[in-house]
Amino acid sequence: MTAAARPGTAALFGIGGALLVVVAAQLVGQFQLAGRAWPPLTDVLAYVTTPAGSGLLLRNGLVTLTAAAQGLLLGVVVAVFGAALALVVPMLRPGFERFAAILNAFPTIALAPLLITTAGREDTPMVIAALSVGFVMFVTMTSGFANVPAAHSDVLTVLGSSRVQRLVRLELPRAVPSFFDGLTLSAPAAILGATIGEWFGAPKGLGLLLVSAMQNYQMPLLWSAALVATALSLAAYIVFVQFQRIAVRRFG
Amino acid sequence: MSTSTIRTAQAEVDRPAARPGAAVTIRGAEKVFSLGRGRTLQALAEVDLEIAEGEFVAIIGPSGCGKSTVLRLAAGLDTPTNGAIEVFGDDPHRLAKQHRLGVAFQEHALLPWASVRANIALPFQVAGRRVDKARVDELIQLVGLVGFEDARPKQLSGGMRQRASIARALALSPDLLLLDEPFGALDAVTRRRMNAELARIWGEEKITTILVTHDVDEALILADRVVVMTGRPGRIRKIAKVDFPRPRGFETTRSPEFHDLVDELTALLDQVEGVDD
Repeated sequence: MTAAARPGTAALFGIGGALLVVVAAQLVGQFQLAGRAWPPLTDVLAYVTTPAGSGLLLRNGLVTLTAAAQGLLLGVVVAVFGAALALVVPMLRPGFERFAAILNAFPTIALAPLLITTAGREDTPMVIAALSVGFVMFVTMTSGFANVPAAHSDVLTVLGSSRVQRLVRLELPRAVPSFFDGLTLSAPAAILGATIGEWFGAPKGLGLLLVSAMQNYQMPLLWSAALVATALSLAAYIVFVQFQRIAVRRFG
Repeated sequence: MSTSTIRTAQAEVDRPAARPGAAVTIRGAEKVFSLGRGRTLQALAEVDLEIAEGEFVAIIGPSGCGKSTVLRLAAGLDTPTNGAIEVFGDDPHRLAKQHRLGVAFQEHALLPWASVRANIALPFQVAGRRVDKARVDELIQLVGLVGFEDARPKQLSGGMRQRASIARALALSPDLLLLDEPFGALDAVTRRRMNAELARIWGEEKITTILVTHDVDEALILADRVVVMTGRPGRIRKIAKVDFPRPRGFETTRSPEFHDLVDELTALLDQVEGVDD
């Protein structure tokens, strides 16, 4: 934790670590240490910068991003609503918790064929993204709601609060930092979920690019699609970390 | 108790809905907390106390003597293990449900995300009433927080937070006001001012009030009766009637009678603490 104590040092370590990974990836590719399937990073970047490559990645990246965003929204809405309902109606809580745990224990790979027949090829990425998000959000919101200080709870009790007022005036605002905690974890999960969902026959998206590049042995395309997915995931994480900081300052 | 009967009559004129007679009746109340693994802690033993409507009662005692437990029983936040407690002839939490209870807690318990104004407006919102802006402004002025309306609790000093918390407790003009060492965190000057303010508010609204404090002077400036409690388990050692005329200004606090009573109660507290140790 000494590194965290000095932000300058921590940032330096971070940049240094990232640089090491990049250089290592380049060298492994350059000397073909991992075979032909691992191209040098410069080849991947060269492909990304070609007009055809960048156009293809942009089009499909946007599709994945859209599916992930829709899935994130759906998962968040369902999970927050479910967690709030389990709080207000305690009878529902054990059932909801078990249902969420079971849903989470199901491998998405196993669910995907089922979803393709029910939700359809186009919507499967969104649904898998929503499923990946739902569990995390449900757990963080449940713990956020449970984290209400006794003194605040007493205040609402002596004011004669109804259950709904307690939720609106105390538990929801109190859970705002947890909500953004959940989002920082969920946003990358949504990108990953959407990408996996696209493997199973989606008409467009980064997942489709990955599968077809793999089957046609287009290594630069495969790696650049992975690179874009990673970049999206990281960007989503960074954006939501900023929101989370604001939320902690405002509601903490 | 002739003074308190007159006061009760006045209160009836002001609030016809309230019942005459006792506001708070505590009969043989015991409170035993379970500490787990079969161990228990007896906080209160056989407390009997009757508080008339419109009366101001201060409870003093050594720390950990169950003063706050008495308050929590009256607020309906805890139930006695044995014995009974009635507030306005009914179950204590009924009063809260009717939005007729005001409590200022020892730790201010303001909502950290809400401004001073929003915290004081909270009781209106919780009660489902339209926020009376004039009343909120009046309370802000009363507790001396003008200029800090939009500040959030963490931007305020401890004393300011406590004052905001008292304003919140007063917001709905409650029938019963419970104050748990609300001035403990204040400096001597602010404390005296808050005591005077509280005496003034009480003089105007005659709210039945229970004040838990460890400051004998404060208890004598404010209360009609002072209840002295012993150390754990809490029992009532003495109930002293305070007859000084109101308002109790410097003439009162400088009088030999006042000092005698302060000395007497302080001696009693010292004794009680000695027993506790």
